[in-house]
Amino acid sequence: MRRLAQLGLALVLIPALFPLYWMVASSLKGPQELQRIPPTWFPSSPSLAAFGEVFETVKFGQAFLNSLLLAGVATLSVLVTSVLAGYVFAKYTFRGREVLFWGVVATMFLPPVVTLVPLYWLVSSMGLADTYLGVLLPWLANAFGIFLMRQFIADVPDELLEAARLDGASELRILWSVVTPLLRPAVVSLAIFSFVFYWNNFIWPLSILQDDAKFPVVLALSQLLSYSTSVHYQNVVMAGALIASLPTIVVFLLAQRVFVASLSRTGVKG
Amino acid sequence: MSVAGRGRGAAAVAFLSPAMLVIGLFTVVPIGLTFWISLHDWSMYTALGDMAWRGLDNYAGLLADSSFYNALANTAIYVALVVVVTVPLSIALGMLLYFPRVAGKGLVRAALFSTYVIPTVAISIVWGGLYAPEYGPLSQLFGAWHPTWLSAPDTALVSLVIFHLWQMTGYYTVLVIAGLTQIPGDLYEAARIDGAGLWRQTLHVTLPLLRRTTIFIGLVAIINAIQVFDPVYILTQGGPAESTTVLSFAIQRAAFQHGLAGQASAMAFSLLLLLVALGGAFLAVVRRRSA
Repeated sequence: MRRLAQLGLALVLIPALFPLYWMVASSLKGPQELQRIPPTWFPSSPSLAAFGEVFETVKFGQAFLNSLLLAGVATLSVLVTSVLAGYVFAKYTFRGREVLFWGVVATMFLPPVVTLVPLYWLVSSMGLADTYLGVLLPWLANAFGIFLMRQFIADVPDELLEAARLDGASELRILWSVVTPLLRPAVVSLAIFSFVFYWNNFIWPLSILQDDAKFPVVLALSQLLSYSTSVHYQNVVMAGALIASLPTIVVFLLAQRVFVASLSRTGVKG
Repeated sequence: MSVAGRGRGAAAVAFLSPAMLVIGLFTVVPIGLTFWISLHDWSMYTALGDMAWRGLDNYAGLLADSSFYNALANTAIYVALVVVVTVPLSIALGMLLYFPRVAGKGLVRAALFSTYVIPTVAISIVWGGLYAPEYGPLSQLFGAWHPTWLSAPDTALVSLVIFHLWQMTGYYTVLVIAGLTQIPGDLYEAARIDGAGLWRQTLHVTLPLLRRTTIFIGLVAIINAIQVFDPVYILTQGGPAESTTVLSFAIQRAAFQHGLAGQASAMAFSLLLLLVALGGAFLAVVRRRSA
């Protein structure tokens, strides 16, 4: 039985990892080798030339920085807005709290494409089409973050808050020095989740951006693909895909445990 | 605890407003605007005041349009295939990764889950390479069946489903494992004492106690599958012969490539109504079952 299970695991591992292997292997092949039929399973003379070509074909370096900026700012903002709102939903009682909270949670299940057109209209009528700020505005808060933070802040004992209040601490002070330090794993996982989510987000920047100097890396990658459809450019496209994936893989490997543990509590991929 | 004292009411408002403002303005208001725009003709690139009133004509247009039914059918097939395979597959993998004491479980779990964090755009491109006719390894491996993958209308949608399963199954498996950890071990102990083997333990202990997780996974899988856009955009642009045009792609294309924002919004609002109806039916079934 145990042997069988071990075999099962090995059989799962191969299809799970093969596409990732193929991405690396193809990025190392030369133009001639890519045109071989049948394809070669291992690069015959591995070369890193394609990685340089990525940056010559499209503004990939700029796009990488853009993604860092966009995903970074969105993540910081989501952390702040989620902790603030999550605290109110977890620890304050007021009329309409449940309705408001579940209304917010319901928006997690809304496919982004439903509101894409009016979102474009809203942002462009603010004069923010084709700007970083225009991309960022709808990303500054999200329902998932609020939900996650409320779940974790609800576990913080009320006695701690009361004690701080008796000492005359302001609500912001309590949130910052009593609640937040207890939330570290939740905050870390929300930060990772948000960063990966916004780094990968494609449909919104695709719809609101025109100027390729402002493209995030996934848009630059799509542009790279459209310039390099022929099979002998496949090393370049795969190298681009690999570079675009690296930050998310690194972040995932660094914090895999926290990430997996807290995603088990809820989540939707957009 | 209640909002007592002067300070806390103000704090509640101040703490809630940033998030509520963003979600209200950029998620809730646009839902209403989607309906408003769907009642008009609008090209996206003129002022909103230039919209021409069409009443419900856009909806009538959709009902008479075979390409709308095509997108609807493609979405339904895609979602149905994803859910039908995802739920049993992720339960089976979750059990495989949770129960047996074997080496390498952590590694397999990390590998399965890693596919979920990689940008869909990047990994779609990789699958484009895998599926490539002749040059692609999958065409090579399954050469005996002459698979056409993304290049023929009969197989393109299924090929996108296979990609989706590869990308997302690890995520659902992690959810299953989380559900399995909630099942008390002594239940299995008791079942073993009663002489239940692996099969009967699964049937009478694991699956019934995993019901909530199973429902949740089914729901999330539906929501995720309905939103599929990136791989369609990157790999097929809805083709060949519109065989992979799903609703979210049809909506984005109508608005941003064809300048038909009114029609796109009518499709978007129909999708929303469909989701609300599905969600209502779902809640009704779950309530009745637990009552």
